Amino acid sequence: MSLYLEKNESELSKKFLKNGYVILKQKNLTNLKYIRSLIVKNSAKIIGIKKPNDKISERFLNNIHKDIKIKELNNFRLKIIKCINEDKDFKKKYFDIAKDLLFALVGNELAMQSRVNLSIQLPDDDSSLLPVHSDIWSGDSPFEAVVWIPMVDCYSTKTMYLLKPDKYKKIHKNFSKYIGKSSLEFYKSIKNDVKWIKVNFGEILIFNQALPHGNVVNEENETRWSMNCRFKSLYSPYGDKKIGEFFEPITLRAASKIGMQYHLPKIND
Amino acid sequence: MGERVPQNIQNLVIRDFCEKNNLFYNLSASEYSMSNSHKILDQIIGELKNLDGIVAYSVFQLPKDNKKRYTILTQIIKKNKKFYFALENMKLVNKDDLEKIENIWLIKKTLPDCLKII
Repeated sequence: MSLYLEKNESELSKKFLKNGYVILKQKNLTNLKYIRSLIVKNSAKIIGIKKPNDKISERFLNNIHKDIKIKELNNFRLKIIKCINEDKDFKKKYFDIAKDLLFALVGNELAMQSRVNLSIQLPDDDSSLLPVHSDIWSGDSPFEAVVWIPMVDCYSTKTMYLLKPDKYKKIHKNFSKYIGKSSLEFYKSIKNDVKWIKVNFGEILIFNQALPHGNVVNEENETRWSMNCRFKSLYSPYGDKKIGEFFEPITLRAASKIGMQYHLPKIND
Repeated sequence: MGERVPQNIQNLVIRDFCEKNNLFYNLSASEYSMSNSHKILDQIIGELKNLDGIVAYSVFQLPKDNKKRYTILTQIIKKNKKFYFALENMKLVNKDDLEKIENIWLIKKTLPDCLKII
């Protein structure tokens, strides 16, 4: 690691490289609570009920499967995504929650995904599965990192899994052997090497999306709610997801603005 | 900006954008295919009086030249009209929007000079 990184930044970097992810507990829950309240408010509005009190937000979200049927889930989810992304403070708060981690692990001149995603995984629902995949294999840039924020406690089959970096090396080396397999076969072949990441509300997860990850049927009796958003260093290589259409600059610095507009003066002969 | 999408696909994206944003899609116009031409865009801006604004397929269809682009965008704001960019889901209404668009353009123009091989 660079000698000029702060001690805590070096430690975070080492953890991120070794495990493929870092979890950070938030000292201040104000922004997280704002986001959760926004989601609860919009969910209640779509369902057609009064917004539940903030004290029972987590219980309301955990039990949303009692109000939403599996066939209604995707429309419900898309409506909430639209509402939260239209909120003028939402994205800034999302970034602020992860700012220290991002500055330490990704950089301080950043591009952020234009629309934050939301996953809702009802118990026993096999229609919302995310089979094992690496985002890079389908066009993302390996310079991106995903900030994953749960709105409820996520554990066991209610959370996501990530293949450990040291185990990934084997897949990378023998990729052609795995590429022909179905997602299920692929998952079975790495099942014993994945890490199920327990993340509670109040904590945030940042992970390396190049590592194979996914979820399985949620066998818990609560619904999973989590958001995910990609961040990258502004001037690092882009994959299929470009600046403007997918990413937007969020922390453009003054020197860059000067540099990008600078032209050497002309000399007349 | 070196990218070309077939016109029928551009129209589909624009129509979809208008539907989602409750905009009335009045008429469509195609720019001359000569490199760096913005003649049709200039013409539409001159005739904006009876329209709410313009929906373009992409923000990167604006002129590459910084001064020319800035002039066009400020004209829209001065005329109190709106300029939407369907692919990027962006709109230009005020100076903050102008700054956002300009930043994206400056970065896009700088990226070819940055590391690009994955």
